[in-house]
Amino acid sequence: MKALARPNFRRTKAVHGILSILPTLAILLFIRFYPIGEAIYRSFTDWNGLYRNNWVGLLNYINIFTNSPFWTLLRNSFVLLISVPLQILIGLLVAVLLYEEVSGWRFFRAIVYVPQIISAVIIGYLFRIAFGLDGPVNQFLRNIGAAFIANEWLGNSATALFVLVFCLTWFSIGWQAIVILGGMSRLSPSVLEAANLDGANFWQRTFLVIVPMVARTIEYGAIMSIVWTFTGTFAFIYSITYGGPGYETSTIDYMIYTKFYQASANYGFATALAVILLIIILGLTYAEMTYTNKVSEWE
Amino acid sequence: MLTRVNRSVSQMLIFFTLVVLSISNLYPLLFMFLNSLKNRPAYLKSPFSLPDLGQLAFSNYATMISQFKILNLFKNTLIISVSTIFFLLIFGIIASYAFAKLKFRGREVIYLIIISSMFVPVQVTIIPIYMLFSKIHLVNTYWAVVLTYLGMFLSETILLLTSAFRGVPDEMIEAAELDGAGYFDILRYVMVPMGRPAIALCLIYYFIVTWNDLFTPMILLTDMDLRTVMVALASLMSRYTGDPTLQFAGLVLAAVPAILVYAVFQNYIIKGIGEGSTR
Repeated sequence: MKALARPNFRRTKAVHGILSILPTLAILLFIRFYPIGEAIYRSFTDWNGLYRNNWVGLLNYINIFTNSPFWTLLRNSFVLLISVPLQILIGLLVAVLLYEEVSGWRFFRAIVYVPQIISAVIIGYLFRIAFGLDGPVNQFLRNIGAAFIANEWLGNSATALFVLVFCLTWFSIGWQAIVILGGMSRLSPSVLEAANLDGANFWQRTFLVIVPMVARTIEYGAIMSIVWTFTGTFAFIYSITYGGPGYETSTIDYMIYTKFYQASANYGFATALAVILLIIILGLTYAEMTYTNKVSEWE
Repeated sequence: MLTRVNRSVSQMLIFFTLVVLSISNLYPLLFMFLNSLKNRPAYLKSPFSLPDLGQLAFSNYATMISQFKILNLFKNTLIISVSTIFFLLIFGIIASYAFAKLKFRGREVIYLIIISSMFVPVQVTIIPIYMLFSKIHLVNTYWAVVLTYLGMFLSETILLLTSAFRGVPDEMIEAAELDGAGYFDILRYVMVPMGRPAIALCLIYYFIVTWNDLFTPMILLTDMDLRTVMVALASLMSRYTGDPTLQFAGLVLAAVPAILVYAVFQNYIIKGIGEGSTR
């Protein structure tokens, strides 16, 4: 009672509160907000990281849209997005199977998530080796007499993108399955039992009963995965294709890296790419916030 | 009777499907482990066969340890992961305590600003960060990577911990205060014990994320002696293309720590992902 009666009590709490968030604010200011501002400002210059730093207006953006592989990068991202419906569909089926809680389901649930634990570098190189010219995949195809399918998988854009889509799907199925399973744990079992009694088969139960009830979870998984496809695939691309042949499997975030290491450093151009990526991500995040209203759900 | 038979048949089908799925998830790992125990000619002859038990090639692992200095790489990565998690939790816990339980002006707005920075990808900020760090001589230090990670992960940590701390009843804090508990006592005896599942999730999740990351350390650490496992692995893979079995040994060693952590703590992760906390 004494503590509460103290007149400065409220103010002490407010001071504690502000002091508590200071380290976080300092770090975010220094490592997030300042670099974002800097990237936006430099995207209007011909900055080379050193002394050259002239204002060039929209030149970098005009160059990106008219005189760079930008549209190839964007096409590649859209091709990689094919992985999203695939991983959701398979992840959904896996979640429904896990939901049945057959014996050993906890073990299976743990195994389903395993690809997410392995570094993208390791997975990427495994795929690179597997789909190499004399790699296990081609060897397997030759062994079963399907040599005509054997291919220089990573040597041309269509098959290299196919390998990437395959890899991203394999990597993400477990994540989608666990997210959807999490959504299903909030369902009432009686609805599913009723569907069973009505004689609904597996597919009817999955798509007509379960999907509508976990629609929001699926929406959340979809948007998180779309954002991730634009921002989280660097290590996969680096280890499987190095973005090639040419720019045929590069994405915007990969291109930022490429430009960073080019001898004739044009960081103005690279930061303009970064700003475009930022706008895409903010657009997608805004869509996510309005759709699922997650922040307010947590409050 | 019939439905019971039907039910057990469908259970068998489900079980079988899950077994197939598990094999598809585990086979690549098994493949790399088995082939890391072969020598080069044996691998090229038949990548799918079991290694010859008579002549297991542990030399690949010996080479990784002696020539590739993988233990030094482990040390670098461990320092970076542990320091990141340490500061992430310290700063995250006190900030989340403030956002959840301490009233001050502008709290909601600041919270929203911090959370909204969550989705900004590191690629957007990396060039300015690199330039800033090279100006203040932080490039090629562990600090460069740790600070960048803190910038990347603090907002997500705070989102997670704040929602956990909001569940702590105010009465518990008031009771502790009546007993004369100060700021740090409340954190230590009320908030941290009550938020233990969320804190454990952060700890495990960010260990795995930082252990596995390539992009940030690759840009900020170019010194051979400071590189992390994944950065070194990337260069191993491009340099020793002639010796796949050695590469497999490197991949196996690099994967082990994250797999071990997951094997022990997978419950926390599965639960956290299921509640929609992380990607």
